[in-house]
This record gives sequence, C-alpha cells and structure tokens, in this order.
Amino acid sequence: MANKKKKIVIDLTRRDVLKMALATAGSIVAAPLLTTGPLSPFGALKQQQLEGAAQPGHGAVTGEYHWGMVINLDQCIGCEYCVRACSAANDVAPDKTWNIVVKEKTTAGHTFFFSRPCLHCQNAPCVEVCPVKATYHREDGLVVMDYQRCIGCRYCEVACPYDARKFNWESRPDDDNAFIPAWGEAEVKRRPRGVVEKCTFCVQRIDAGLALGLTPGEDREASPACVNICPVKARTFGNLKDPNSKVTQVIEANATFRLRDELGTETSVYYIPPKEGL
Amino acid sequence: MAISNMERKPLQLPSTGLLIWFSFLAVCLAIGLYAAIQVFIHGLILTNMSNSVPWGLWITIDLSSIALGAGAFTLSAIVYIFGIKRLQPIIRLAVLVGFAGYTSALLTLVMDIGRPDRFWHPWVFWNVHSVLWEVTMCITIYLTILLAEFAPVIVEAKFFDRWPFLRTIAHALHKATPFFAALGLVISLLHQSSLGAAYGVIKSRPIWFKPSMPIMFVLSAIAAGPAVTVGLAYVVEWVTRKRTIPHEVLQIVTRFSGVALLAYGYIKFWDMAAVTYYGRTAGVTSAFALLRQETPFNFSFWVGEVILGIIIPSILFLVPHFNKSQVYAVIGALSAMIGIVVHRWNVTVGGLFVPLSYSPGTLYTLPAGTYFPSLYEWGVGLLVIGYALTVVTLAVWLLPLFDRHEH
Repeated sequence: MANKKKKIVIDLTRRDVLKMALATAGSIVAAPLLTTGPLSPFGALKQQQLEGAAQPGHGAVTGEYHWGMVINLDQCIGCEYCVRACSAANDVAPDKTWNIVVKEKTTAGHTFFFSRPCLHCQNAPCVEVCPVKATYHREDGLVVMDYQRCIGCRYCEVACPYDARKFNWESRPDDDNAFIPAWGEAEVKRRPRGVVEKCTFCVQRIDAGLALGLTPGEDREASPACVNICPVKARTFGNLKDPNSKVTQVIEANATFRLRDELGTETSVYYIPPKEGL
Repeated sequence: MAISNMERKPLQLPSTGLLIWFSFLAVCLAIGLYAAIQVFIHGLILTNMSNSVPWGLWITIDLSSIALGAGAFTLSAIVYIFGIKRLQPIIRLAVLVGFAGYTSALLTLVMDIGRPDRFWHPWVFWNVHSVLWEVTMCITIYLTILLAEFAPVIVEAKFFDRWPFLRTIAHALHKATPFFAALGLVISLLHQSSLGAAYGVIKSRPIWFKPSMPIMFVLSAIAAGPAVTVGLAYVVEWVTRKRTIPHEVLQIVTRFSGVALLAYGYIKFWDMAAVTYYGRTAGVTSAFALLRQETPFNFSFWVGEVILGIIIPSILFLVPHFNKSQVYAVIGALSAMIGIVVHRWNVTVGGLFVPLSYSPGTLYTLPAGTYFPSLYEWGVGLLVIGYALTVVTLAVWLLPLFDRHEH
C-alpha cells in the first residue's frame, strides 16, 4: 500500500489564486447580507421572533383573546373534582387524565395540593416538534390538536416539560368512563387509538359560547369544566388580554409564578403559591 | 455456513448452505410478521412503552440502522467528491448496506407510529420547525438517491436482458452518480446530525439538552458506517469463497474508520468534560446520579460505548498488524456496531428514564421510567433484522456487486 501512494500534484495558476481569493471575499460579504440584512430571507422570521420577544407571554397570540388560567394553590383542597368533571366533559380515559391533582409539600414541610391542566405555552415545545402540525397554536393562544392529522409518533409527549400529553395505546372499551353521567356528559368525540391527546381548556365551550355572545370565564356555559366544578373557586379562567377580566385582575392582585419559567415556554397558566410560600 | 461454488450462470440454483441460511431467515421473518400483525391488530399496547417512556427499542433500531447505513454517503462522497477513485470497488456494497439500513429504518418507523395509515402525512403537512419532519423528508429523499445509485446494479442482472431500454436509463443514471453523491452528502449530513438534534433540542430533558448531540450522532455514523461495509465484504468473501473487493481498498476504508472513531472519541471526551461536567446544571447532575444508581448506565457507557464502540475498533483498525487481518477487521466492525447500538439505546431510553420535574413543591416528581422491550417488540426487531439480512443476501447472490468490468 505504502509503495502505491499517489503523488499529489498542486498545479495552481495566478488566475486560480485570484479566483479563490475573490470567491472567499464574496462569501464573506454575502454571508451577513443573506443572514441578517434586509435582503435576507430570514429577515421576516427574525422580525416575527423579535416582536414575540417584545411582548412576553404573547408570542403566539395574534387575536383579541388570550385564554389563560390562574390556579390558587392556597385554596385547592385536593378534592379532584376538576379531574372528574374534565374526564366526563372530554371523555378522557381514567388512566390518562388531562388534569392531575397531587399532594405536595412546601420546603417547610406543610402539605398543599398541586393541580395541573395543559399549560398552553406560548412557546410550546410540542408545537415546535410535531412533524405534521397536528398540534398547533390558535390565535387565541390555545394549543390544540387535529386528531385527524396526528400520526402518533409521540415526539410531543417526549418534548412536553409538563407531562401534559397522553398517547392512546389501545382502543378503549365503551364503558370505561365511570364519570359519565354523574360528573357531566361527553361534549367531544373520543380520540381513536394511535393518536396523542391533550387538554384544550374545553375549546368546544369557548367557541360555542363566543358564538352565543357569552364571555368565557364569566358565563359558566363558556368556561372550562374544571373551573366550573371547583368547590373552592381555586381556578379562575378568562381573557389575559382584557385588563378588566377576572383572570387579569387576580394576576394583578396576587404574586404569581409559572411552572418552569426558565425554559421560556411562556405558559398561559399562572399559579398563586400557598400563603406560607413554597 | 459453507456455500460452494457460486458461479454466475443463467440459471442459478441455491446451494445447500444458502438454502439453510434462507430457511433461517424465513423463520425470523415469520416470527417477525406474526408480531407485526399482532401489533397492527391490537395496537401499541402490546409493547412495553408507556406514557413515561414513549420511545424504546424500535427507535433504537431505527437510529442504529440509519447510522450503520452511513457508509453509503461517506464512501460515495470520498470517491466521487474528494476524487479518491481507487476506493470505487466498495461503492456498490456500501450503497447496498445503506439501502438495507434505510429501508429497515422506515419499516421500523411505520411499526412505531400509532397511525401507520398516516405515514405519508409529513410529506403533505409540513412543519418546517420540526426536526423530526426534516429527518423524515431527508430520509425519504436520501432513500430515493440510494435507489437511483443502486438501480444500475439491479438492471445489470441477467434477468433484465430482455428490456434493453432499462439499461439505457440505468446508464444515464449511472452517469449522474457524482451529482447523487453530492446531493446525498448534503442530505445525509443534515439528517444524520438532526437525529441527534431531535434529542438535543428537547429543553425539558436535562441529559439531552446540549449542542453536542448532533455532532456525536453524525460523527459516530461516519465512523461506523464504512466499517460495517468492510466487515460485510470480508464475511461475504468467507461465505462465497470468492474475492469481493480488493483488500487494499478494504484496508484503507478500515483505517479511515479508525481515524473517524478517534475523532468521535475525542468529541465524546469533550462532551463529557465540557458539557456534562464543567457546564453541568443541577438537573444534569441529579439525572446522571439517578441513572447510575438505577440502571447499568455506567457499565453500558464505559464498556459498550467507549471500550467496545471506540477503543477496541480503533486499535483493530489502525494498528498495521491488526489492520491487515480479516478476522480483526470483522471483530472491529462488530464491536463498533455494538457501540453505536448501545449509544443510541442509552440516549433514547436513558433520557426518558430520568423523570420530569415541574411541580413547584418539594415532594412530587414523576416516577422514574421503567422499560424493557416486550416479546412483540423483540419480534418486530427480528423482522427488521431478518429483512435487512434477506436484502443483503439476495443482492450478494443475484446481483453483480463485485464485477469490475467497468472503469
């Protein structure tokens, strides 16, 4: 092998060197023009991102509504009514509920109850990763799914920081929802086997309610099932863009935080911590 | 298996050895088909995947077979773009391995998605922000390129004598090979690294979220892919007892593979030191502590990924004494293969094993994932491996992979 080594002949003319120098100079000039300048095809995208960043929490919201929720951890008593009403209204399987309620402890060791719907991130990892745009942002900030389009790759489930997504591993038996009719009637179609599903803030009620001239968050018919059922009114729902809505006023009157804010997900759900702090 | 005397006659009959091999493959395929049909009927509930570990063995097979098929684009680029023409004789085999790998990956993907009937959706409903969308597009485009590169070889088979116009098309395709090589290089560099990025962009998972992920995926594929092709060439030679590819060519490719493995090893060391040690966060530290405590992560990392995947093969490929030996080349290739598979498994299942924590309190984190593939998952794995081996066997048996009458 060593004796078969081919000689590499470098045969450059002055013209070649000039050409290469020109090409290098050209690339150096062209690169910033194409990536950042007004000629850049990425310009519009960048502008969009800047605008999103200028309005924290409203990156994906372009309409006049931005549906959001406040959950008061100081009030929640852990009754799990929200889980039941949600499971009935959205016909959710008992082993993969959209809402969860868990017992938690503060650093001081006192018990409080923590509940979680889908947080409807404005920078939602699940929307970014979906290969077919089956999960998408509505202009009112809701993160919803097209179950006709989902291919069941489960990338959104892997990407969601809040474990808010559940996959339908099998066909459900017809009678597996014990919460119907005691806790409500199914308002949406059951999702088929092989797709992922998630909480929608009861989008069916919001849309129907708005069409009837109702105000979601104020009128019960237009509000999410979990908000209506809560016996201690720990959940407040409404339009974050309306300064007079209940939800905006609760956020203004209380110290709130959002889950894993450091990820930049810009969730639409705010939490009021227990009085003694977390 | 001993296969005697396989001369290229108009009508070839398989020898006894080949028949035994085919019946073994048929058993694999039958078991696999049974498992696959059961999964289609009853759904993914038959797997041991769950909502906390939604990806498992199949994704590992998928990633591994794409990485092991990387010899096709690497060697095509070396021959047609960098102009190292003396490596030409290995191209056909490399493209065959690539074809087997990529079709295996697509087969596994179709099994893995919840709605196989919607497998075509990524082509119609684009989400250009999704890494997985980009990977799907690239893989299918690259598979087309592989077909275009391989079609001339298929058409050369005796069977196609009756349709001379196919030969004309094949000849035209063959002339475009450098173009396909360039396109294949671009597309492959994109998706091989994006497969790593698919994990690297997930900011909620502490041990995935790092910029080194794509580099490690693409480098390990470039290193191990060609080695697999070399290993296969030697095995085919032992089985058919005929010279396949000149040994000088195979030795050069082995050395290339060894150097690339060292580069991969360097990046892995850098990743460990800079990204996961000096640049670690509290989340990363506790995630690794949990993995080491609950799973054989330390063992599989050091023995599987580093010793078997990098150190042993790079020694066998680079030390001149070992490099000349066929047996050591095959052992090295197998060892590098194991390294790739273990790495992909550790990334996928290890990352999912670490539970998410998003609650503001101190008590609640999701339970740590548990996962070991079910029999159905192994069965489908058998189907995919059986399929890949069948493709390779049929091609070696029927197609002029090693004829060197051109060029």
